Amino acid sequence: MSTHEITLTVNDTEEELTVESRTLLVHALRDQLGYTGPKIGCETSKCGACTVTLDGDAVKACTVLAVQTDGSEVTTVEGLADGDDLDPIQESFHEEHALQCGYCTPGMVMTTRQLLEDDPDPDAEEIRHQLKGNICRCTGYQNIVNAVESAADKTEGAAESTDDAEAESPPAKADGGEARSDDETPHAEDDGR
Amino acid sequence: MKPAPFEYHRPTTVAEATDLLAEHGDAELLAGNQSLGIVMANRLATPDHLIDLNTVDDLAFVEEREESVAIGAMTRHRTIERSDLLTEKLPMLPEAAEQIAGPSVRNRGTLGGSIGEADPAGNYPAALVALDATLEIVSADEEREVPVSDYFIAYMFTDLAEDELIAAADIPTDPFPPERTGMAFLELKPAAQTWPTVSAATAVRVDDPDADEPVVEEARLALANAADVPLRVEDAEAAVEGESLSEDALEAVAEAATAAADPEDEMHADSEFKVEVAGEYARRSLAASYDRATNIETDFDAPTDH
Repeated sequence: MSTHEITLTVNDTEEELTVESRTLLVHALRDQLGYTGPKIGCETSKCGACTVTLDGDAVKACTVLAVQTDGSEVTTVEGLADGDDLDPIQESFHEEHALQCGYCTPGMVMTTRQLLEDDPDPDAEEIRHQLKGNICRCTGYQNIVNAVESAADKTEGAAESTDDAEAESPPAKADGGEARSDDETPHAEDDGR
Repeated sequence: MKPAPFEYHRPTTVAEATDLLAEHGDAELLAGNQSLGIVMANRLATPDHLIDLNTVDDLAFVEEREESVAIGAMTRHRTIERSDLLTEKLPMLPEAAEQIAGPSVRNRGTLGGSIGEADPAGNYPAALVALDATLEIVSADEEREVPVSDYFIAYMFTDLAEDELIAAADIPTDPFPPERTGMAFLELKPAAQTWPTVSAATAVRVDDPDADEPVVEEARLALANAADVPLRVEDAEAAVEGESLSEDALEAVAEAATAAADPEDEMHADSEFKVEVAGEYARRSLAASYDRATNIETDFDAPTDH
């Protein structure tokens, strides 16, 4: 049996592991390294549940061999949040109820990341086109599209408000401080799954 | 579901890759792994050796030549989709690329993989047949060039020998000056991750795009999944050449495509339906190409979105 020692960086952590030639990236991530964010759906590139980022590109981790990723950087959905602070895309999926069972969500989020990198202000048709490789069997597509639009607004809005803040910083800060105070009830225990 | 065990090889040059092919008669070449990976996961292919071409940098390029553009076999769909050179010179190829599956698949899948797999439903096989491309094929012993019209022999059966790899496709640009050329790749597909039911790759060059009635000097039509190989329909091309495009000529295109098509039944589309789609998509795709070649308003029923 042919095995290989590989080193890859997952969510900024360097990982060393031994894989068989035939080990798929999704199995190495989940079974050997414990990154269970990428889900196993079809294992044949159809459903997108296992989508991760490989050296900056969204890929389906079921059709990449682990051995091919030696020396690469992989980002899984676990790499997006900063502690309890969700990434804007995750936040939008949460706010827009863009998940029912949640199984497709990591893949949807990772694909959305690339989508917004390529086109920060996509229309609904473009969003649907770019999410074609991700299947939601709860068929919650409408809310997913809404979430991506909302995430795009946030990232666009963030860029704009940064500009604004630079132009007229004192008033903007005063308003922001008040609005934030009653929003600080994190639901960390909620997140059982 | 995992592939059966195999030995993995990672050459960094074409010569290393062809030496490995010569050494291991039963080896498969690994390109983007978006089809082979699935076939292997289902144990429909169980090669003992896999030769990964992803580290052969010399096979990934899009290069302008004197009267052609060459695309390396390991060039990914995403690169083709976004190439300014191709968008200007051979827009059929970016349009074909952007309709393949979803973005994650397009980040990995390659031109060479698609040609090597040679599924007659594939986008590039039909596009390259329409554009009269030549394939550059390499083995440890020789390099040779094969016109795509000779390459595709039967269903997933090609002129490529066991010890050969596809290095590049060379696609002539001199027949198609951008200012008076239009191209289209139109496909009918029930879902993103499936093969298209039928696709129509077309190109049209007119004499004068600003004329009241621009005359078609040259037309190309190739159909995907309408036969066991990508199907060039020269009768349809002849039907529109030498005159300004008309509804009558488009009707003749549809008839020629219908007559040429000889598809297999499949689960979601029987042969009769595919023949009908072949005619209609040939018509629409040619009308779209003509519309794009000219600066006049045409009123053919030619949807250009997808």
